Amino acid sequence: MRVDVVHNVLKLNDALAAQIRSRLHERGIFTLNLISAPGSGKTTLLERTLAHFGERLGQAVIVGDLATSRDAERLAQFARCVQINTDGGCHLDAAMVANALDTLDLDGVEVLYIENVGNLVCPVGFDLGHDAKVGVISVTEGEDKVAKYPRLWREADVVLLNKIDLLPYVPFDRDRFYADLRDINGTVPVIEVAAAKGEGLEAWFAWVAERAQKANGE
Amino acid sequence: MHELSLAELLLPPVLALAEEHGARVTLVVVQAGELQAIVPDSLRLGFASLAAGTAAEGAELVVEIVPVTARCRRCGGEFVVQEHVYVCPACGVADVETTGGTDLVLTRVELED
Repeated sequence: MRVDVVHNVLKLNDALAAQIRSRLHERGIFTLNLISAPGSGKTTLLERTLAHFGERLGQAVIVGDLATSRDAERLAQFARCVQINTDGGCHLDAAMVANALDTLDLDGVEVLYIENVGNLVCPVGFDLGHDAKVGVISVTEGEDKVAKYPRLWREADVVLLNKIDLLPYVPFDRDRFYADLRDINGTVPVIEVAAAKGEGLEAWFAWVAERAQKANGE
Repeated sequence: MHELSLAELLLPPVLALAEEHGARVTLVVVQAGELQAIVPDSLRLGFASLAAGTAAEGAELVVEIVPVTARCRRCGGEFVVQEHVYVCPACGVADVETTGGTDLVLTRVELED
């Protein structure tokens, strides 16, 4: 017997993500989903960002890794932080974020950063209830990661090109990077930074502040 | 390796149909958008592992890949995205909206008669 159906396999995740989104919006919280390969500098970027805004902006972090609470330990000195260990899982999903939110005090929070598991493929298809996707790539990874893993860059609301200070030392073709990125996403803003050195971050801080203010005002 | 997570999400609706009809599953067909970046063999392996001991044990899983489509925000024309170039072929504008090829959809289940 043949049964024809139309069942979106990600429906459960998407429905839960929609609940998370409305729960966060009720509180006026702007939520970012940071995605990159392992080692591209997401945690360092967050350290700089949390420290920059300090008490001026209510901030909280959910951080996902396969194992250890090392990232949460790094970030907890700056803001409220919950670590999710996926125990081998290659991405965060909406259920994990919903559980993490239950343990996070959201009073006074204006911006929630979700640092996804380092991976350019799997995290991209799972809606976490975020308002914006942040794609981070560092010059040490090579410019071809844009063309090879296109979906993240296609769906990113902002792209950070990190470790720009290492450009003289690594074979990163910047023109090719921009050409490939423009093919995939012709409208996404790109911010060049050296997060570990604190360089170029003003444009990123301004982007976060502007989007947060917009979300809080609505 | 998000295929295992997707297989976890795929199995319940398949089993629900099996239970509804009181029959074992022989074939499952899904349409996978190209942007899901699914490796069909990995999805099959994940599904087969999870289906063991259920009414879908041993069922064949067919994965049909759906190409990415996009619509130009200027001229409104829709096109199939080739080689991940999201530029309107008619007017050369890069301001385009993805319209297809992002989902994973269960489209057909075949059950024993």
